[in-house]
Amino acid sequence: MIRHLFKLIWNQKKSNFLLITEIFFSFLVLFAVLSFGIYNYHNYTKPLGFTYDNVWQLWLNPQTDSTAHNLAVQRELIQRVKSFPEVEHASLSNSNTPFAFSQMNNNLSYGGKKDIQANVFNVQADYQKVLGLEVSQGRWFGPQDKASLHKPIVINQKLKEELFGDEEAIGKLLPINDSSQYAVIGVIDHYRSYSEFDPEEAAYFECINLDEEKSYFWNGLVMKVKPGAGVAFEEKMVRELSRIAKDWTIEVTTLEKMRQSKAKMTTVPMVALGLVCGFLVFNVALGLFGVLWYNINRRYAEIGLRRAIGASSKQIRNQFVGEVLVIATFGLLLGLLLAVQFPLLQVFQLSSAIYWESIAAAAFLIFLLATICAIYPSYQASKIYPAVALHEE
Amino acid sequence: MLKNYLKIAWAVLQRRKFFTFISLFGISFTLMVLMVVTSLFDHVFGPQMPERESDRLLFVNNLREQFKNDGMSSGPPSYYFLDRYVRSLKTPENISINSIFTTVNSYVNNKKLTLDLKFTDEAFWEILEFNFLEGRPFSAQEVANATRVAVINQNTRKSYFGDKEAVGQYIEVDQVKYKVIGVVKDVPALRLHSYADLWVPITLKSQDFKRTSLRGSYFATIKAKKASDVPKIKDEYGQMMQQLNKQVSKEDKEVHSYADNIFGTFARSFLGGGTKDKSTFLYMILAGAAFLFMLLPTINLVNINISRIMERSSEIGVRKAFGASSKTIIGQFVVENIFLTLLGGMLGFLISAGVLEIINNSGIIAYADLGLNLRVFAWGLLLCLVFGLVSGVYPAFKMSRLNAVEALKGGSK
Repeated sequence: MIRHLFKLIWNQKKSNFLLITEIFFSFLVLFAVLSFGIYNYHNYTKPLGFTYDNVWQLWLNPQTDSTAHNLAVQRELIQRVKSFPEVEHASLSNSNTPFAFSQMNNNLSYGGKKDIQANVFNVQADYQKVLGLEVSQGRWFGPQDKASLHKPIVINQKLKEELFGDEEAIGKLLPINDSSQYAVIGVIDHYRSYSEFDPEEAAYFECINLDEEKSYFWNGLVMKVKPGAGVAFEEKMVRELSRIAKDWTIEVTTLEKMRQSKAKMTTVPMVALGLVCGFLVFNVALGLFGVLWYNINRRYAEIGLRRAIGASSKQIRNQFVGEVLVIATFGLLLGLLLAVQFPLLQVFQLSSAIYWESIAAAAFLIFLLATICAIYPSYQASKIYPAVALHEE
Repeated sequence: MLKNYLKIAWAVLQRRKFFTFISLFGISFTLMVLMVVTSLFDHVFGPQMPERESDRLLFVNNLREQFKNDGMSSGPPSYYFLDRYVRSLKTPENISINSIFTTVNSYVNNKKLTLDLKFTDEAFWEILEFNFLEGRPFSAQEVANATRVAVINQNTRKSYFGDKEAVGQYIEVDQVKYKVIGVVKDVPALRLHSYADLWVPITLKSQDFKRTSLRGSYFATIKAKKASDVPKIKDEYGQMMQQLNKQVSKEDKEVHSYADNIFGTFARSFLGGGTKDKSTFLYMILAGAAFLFMLLPTINLVNINISRIMERSSEIGVRKAFGASSKTIIGQFVVENIFLTLLGGMLGFLISAGVLEIINNSGIIAYADLGLNLRVFAWGLLLCLVFGLVSGVYPAFKMSRLNAVEALKGGSK
């Protein structure tokens, strides 16, 4: 039966060519859009590794170039911020706070593993409490680090795997330059702060030591506020801080707002793509439906004849649905030839699981679409009375 | 003749309502998507308020320092560079230097307003055409004196002062009070070089003027005397950069900076690595994307057209038997199809007007003012014709080769 269907379609390949091309392109469009969607969804469901409720963020932009003066003002600022009763914890940071648009990278080497790129987060010890980070091995920064010989760092699980594999990470030393080294003191399971829709990257935290730093200035300040602190407190705080840091620009925002604007960068294109893709597919479905309907009307006589020599209406219906599915299969096979190149050649560095999932989902949708489009015209065909059909002929 | 074709086309459209619906749906939605994209494109790159004479405007928004030891720094140029080198250009009619916008806070009635503040000179108001709702721009005198005056946009007036008149009142941002002297219509946020909520004199930031590094946080807007002067300005800019590179060669670095129109600056920074002019390449990519997008609906339409025309094989048989040539028949079907696409295009226009309204109101793009204007309409018309021609020619060609005798019998293989 199935072989017979393939033969039927193959003999008609010229007139079915356009339908097959249409299925082929629809499959590719679905595949591309689904890959994008599934990739983002996969990332979205992974843990972020921190909490962002009631966390505020300040951007500090000094107007003068004198770092020594700026650092002195900054020390005063963080003291003042911590002294507000509404603020629970606060920490200075680089500009790469969670959901910010800036990123800072550094290359680390350990043994045979050369130049592994990792995000660097320069933070104070209170950063852990502000964002609720959980250390799974070793410990977070503490007062005892001030006296340590090497620069302590806390790394995420991803960096641990890339550098050390299955080995124990705590206590390992990593070279910074000829004279100094990092010492790993702790590992946290996850820290994925760039965007909810981005994959986790290797990352490590370095502790800010305000007493020793002479040449660098920290633009970011994050703080955990008590629930209920609102605009009134924000205004009061900004007023007070502006008095300490004259002529500086101080931007205040919440991590929730940053998260939303960052998420928009992914969701808006995704929704737009989804809508366009949905429209294309709907369009194709309507077209398919129309063409099938017309084709079946044209084969009136053939159906009549088949019915006359004893085919049941169910058999007729199955034949037509089957034919459409065979056409869909031809289109799919062509599309598959192209689509499998993506996981095989590792295009775009997405994991191949995502490609396979989207291929499966796209194929399923195409078959579903073809079946839905075929059911009504086939049902009509199966309702044809042999006597009427043959009489017309 | 044409009238007859149109009459026939109309009759055919009414005969099979479902097919007509499918065709019109496909055409109108395809054109709708294309028109929304065209409108967005026009919104970002086309001549829109306040950059209305875009063929005479050039922008400098990037400077790239390439150091010999592999280091690189790229971003907006400094006031020093723009003032000393760009302002000395001879060909342009006028040059404005303005800062990139910075976000500032303002608190009013227990509410927080986040505003974008831009420092500009008086030339800014002469070059660009803002729609002033009340008041005036700041004068050369006010810029020279570093007076604390501000021009605000409509939205800021609404959220800070309510709907009352704002000129003469004071607005406080980041603990600094400015006297409002003008209110302009909102500028779309995608117009990076002109957009802000609040414009104040550039001299209020004079501490930046002393820094002699080439990189900083300023833009320049250049206006040519006439559109044909634009290449001359680009040449002069190139020569100026060559001179500059001679001067800085002892510092072991190379400096790149260009004056481009908006589309050019975009193409250069995204595709040209900040140095190469990639406008043509970007146009090709956009055309390619539009083609790929139209491919599927076109195939669909071709498919449906073939089915529809097949139904009319007896009609074609009769016409052929009475001596119509293949050419006339192809002509007839192409005209019919173009008629259909134009009809779909018209529907598409109506739908896209609605969709643009939705986008404007949704706040996805701040201060978006997307609309259908003559340029977008012309593009849409062109797209309709191309679409109609492409999807009509193949079925018509296929039909015109029908054998008259077989067609009259009503069957075709």
